[in-house]
Amino acid sequence: MIEPLSESQVIENLRQTEDPSAQYYAAWWLGKMRSRHPDAIPLLLTTLRALNDTPVDPDRRGVALNAIRALGLLQDDRAAADLRDLLMSTDYTVREEAARSLGTMGSHAAAEAIRSLLDSGVDGAGREQPSSPLLQEPCEALLEALGDIGISDAATLATLQPFTQHPRPLIRSAACRALLQLTGDAAWGEQLIQLLQHPEPLVRRGALLDLGATGWTAAVETMSAAAVEPSLKLVALKGLAEQSSDPAVLDAMDALL
Amino acid sequence: MTSTALADAIRHLDRASSTPELVQATRALCALQDPEAADTLINVLGFNNPAVAAVATQGLIQLGRNIVPTLLVSLDARNYGARAWVVKALAALRDPRGLDLLEHALEADIAPSVRRSATRGLADLELDPACSDQQLQRCLQGLLKAGQDDEWVVRYAAVFGLEQRLRHASVGSSLTDQAVPMLRTLASEAEDARVVRLRAELALQRLNIE
Repeated sequence: MIEPLSESQVIENLRQTEDPSAQYYAAWWLGKMRSRHPDAIPLLLTTLRALNDTPVDPDRRGVALNAIRALGLLQDDRAAADLRDLLMSTDYTVREEAARSLGTMGSHAAAEAIRSLLDSGVDGAGREQPSSPLLQEPCEALLEALGDIGISDAATLATLQPFTQHPRPLIRSAACRALLQLTGDAAWGEQLIQLLQHPEPLVRRGALLDLGATGWTAAVETMSAAAVEPSLKLVALKGLAEQSSDPAVLDAMDALL
Repeated sequence: MTSTALADAIRHLDRASSTPELVQATRALCALQDPEAADTLINVLGFNNPAVAAVATQGLIQLGRNIVPTLLVSLDARNYGARAWVVKALAALRDPRGLDLLEHALEADIAPSVRRSATRGLADLELDPACSDQQLQRCLQGLLKAGQDDEWVVRYAAVFGLEQRLRHASVGSSLTDQAVPMLRTLASEAEDARVVRLRAELALQRLNIE
């Protein structure tokens, strides 16, 4: 039986630089366990420096990506400026993870930088890269971050709206999710419910989780009945329950256990 | 001997390829209400297709407790999705013969969805009158253990189960002594998942516990 690591051991594992796999696990652990250790944030931020090396060491890049995710979970303002800088990284995945973390943190200061990455619209940011499944920008993460940050000014809504017509259903879903969060307009919820009937299971799962993130309780019954595995419905309804505190959502969850 | 109708339905199912076809063929198989269809329905649970598995699970539940012995020997070691559906069917049938399996699934299964379904089963498993006190103890012990699970969804199911057991059974005081503090802990800041806290608060409220 392996003894679980103590927090101070995990901190030392992140501090050393000989063994990147120990750092990789340590960065993940600190986020997962919501560590409040005083060295956690400074050490996680230190690992991000490896992203500026040329060439970037792939192992250290992995550590840095885990650190970005952990910084999002730890919700500490000291990380916001560094994460904002990473939105300008040439590395697609780094931009994607930085946007997700800034969204999780609800970082108002990041909203404009995130919006500017989307401003070129469906034919710019939303265009497919040649011979790659990726779009020019990590649109799904960027759209979701704007919804999570929660600034509903006209410029943000104007940036989001075109993406509700994107050819990819998961991008449409992310845009509708953000618009529903920002405006509370049921029309965006209805579009998400449409996507919940999509023939592709992956799209149904995405739309379900997006509905859960919005706290729009009108969707409870449709979500419960969706053709998606019960464990994922419970995750989506958890989001809804935590946003709304509506006991009807808890009843729906009980019925899915 | 397999009836012609059953053989036809199984053949349709074998030929189905798209999800709508599979759902329709599984519905037709369920509509026969033939206990001989149980093995085929259990097989369907392993397709990794939630729409089809949900229909098959309902069909199995409608076949009633005669199929419990079949369910008890049908856990697929390599497919946790299928195991979760079998445990779900077993939980819904509430047959006391399922107790050993539910306990073991909660104790040993690596998949949170399986532990969740097992916990749900312990919430309202019918007790064998010959040894109902002992079985109730085992159900409650399982629920208390589930309340300490690493996964929020298992702890959520534990709250649901403890509320059911405290509400319905004539529970001995020693068990209430442990179940109520567990609900209080799950309603407190010691619990990470807000949804578990909300559910535990609701349970305490419904049980009229301050």
